Amino acid sequence: MANFDFKETFLNPIFKGNPISVLVLGICSSLAVTVQLKGAFVMGLSVIIVTGLSSLICSLLRNTIPNRIRIIVQLVVVAMMVILVDQVLKAYAYSVSKTLSVYIGLIITNCIVMGRIEAFALGNKPFASLIDGLGNGVGYAMILVIVAFFRELLGSGTLFGFQVIPQAVYDFGYVNNGLMILPPMALILLGCIIWVQRTIQKDLQEK
Amino acid sequence: MNTNSNTYTVIYSIILVVIVAAVLAFAAMFLKPTQDANVKKDTIGQILTAATVQGEDILATYQQEIEAAILVDIDGNKVGELDITSCEVYDNSALKRQTIAEEKALPVYIFKNGITVVPCYGAGLWGPIWGYVGLEGDLKTIKAVRFDHKGETPGLGAKIADEPSFAEAFIGQQVGEGAVLFEVAKPANRKTEKNGVDAISGATITCQALGKTLNQWFGFYQNYFAKNAASCGHDCADCSGCGHEGEGHAHKGEGHGHKCSDCSDCEEVESDNTVEE
Repeated sequence: MANFDFKETFLNPIFKGNPISVLVLGICSSLAVTVQLKGAFVMGLSVIIVTGLSSLICSLLRNTIPNRIRIIVQLVVVAMMVILVDQVLKAYAYSVSKTLSVYIGLIITNCIVMGRIEAFALGNKPFASLIDGLGNGVGYAMILVIVAFFRELLGSGTLFGFQVIPQAVYDFGYVNNGLMILPPMALILLGCIIWVQRTIQKDLQEK
Repeated sequence: MNTNSNTYTVIYSIILVVIVAAVLAFAAMFLKPTQDANVKKDTIGQILTAATVQGEDILATYQQEIEAAILVDIDGNKVGELDITSCEVYDNSALKRQTIAEEKALPVYIFKNGITVVPCYGAGLWGPIWGYVGLEGDLKTIKAVRFDHKGETPGLGAKIADEPSFAEAFIGQQVGEGAVLFEVAKPANRKTEKNGVDAISGATITCQALGKTLNQWFGFYQNYFAKNAASCGHDCADCSGCGHEGEGHAHKGEGHGHKCSDCSDCEEVESDNTVEE
């Protein structure tokens, strides 16, 4: 792509082409890790790193990859990045890595990562691919954080583990919504986000 | 160059895999010490939770609050000691070895607040499960527990670690005697009355495994418990008569062999005079 538009490449996957709310990819993990903001935040960061760097590496290799094993090559690169992220988290953010348990490893199965490599990185220059990967990661992370914000606030009354709903409110009879910490509520919240986005961006509506 | 030829494809995949393997091996070696330190800290944190001890700095708190960390064999005799100053604890692989070892050296962590913590380790549904049980001075009543797992199903089996009400259910339960030492099952399925807690619905296999694991490990420690339980806390009236002051006498009660006249509980104690001459 000769006329590579930095802003468009980065911002498109965040809003107009958001991997979760428009492409509806990576739903599985967004249901699982959004109970608390902290987990969602670290998960989002991990996905940004994995999508960005694997897109970069695959784009650097794009002219050498034998066509018949290209999916396997992509998979090896993504798996390597995920294992690296997992190992680093285990060493420097052990408690978060324990909360996220298997989900960091499951980034490998996140369609966003492979999808972007296959659709973008294999046909574009390394820098553009890096930006596209990062943009998609940020788009994913943003939805995760929004969902986690509501789930933690309404489900536990905390944000990043700190109590934000004062005790006085509980004394008046307010109770945390137990449904919020269960996965179905994440799906309903996601539905709401998609609804809001399609109301604003009318061109996304199917006729 | 023809990137679609067989030779190219084979060579390409070999080189790629070797490079990736080297990167991962290097990362694993480089990060291992930090990861091990984290795991150890986590283990000690779990032991402290089971001992109902809290503190900012986990390692310092452990060193401060621990009275003794000893190793006992299956007969309940002390066979060794764990170094307290370096915070030496049994990690999971060491616990795993003990489940199959013929000559066992089982860790016992005795805290200054009178709580004795013993570990357990076994197979869950997807991977190992383990935990620490804090017992009161009578070595029967459970004061606190902390369980953990490698990869039980989140939201179901994983609740043994992250569901507070499950851990709370253990408080005040007793380690039983005879064939069934502890049960994790619904009340209707329990064989004993006071020696069990409810299982978690949806996590049948994990809970069965936990019950089995606890049974196995309480079994390992049964002789230690019997020998070292402080039965009633009363001074034994016969004590001055027996003349064996010293090590064997550190704990009052059952190990002693004498019955305490002040305490009805002690009537059941069999008089096995195991004090060394």
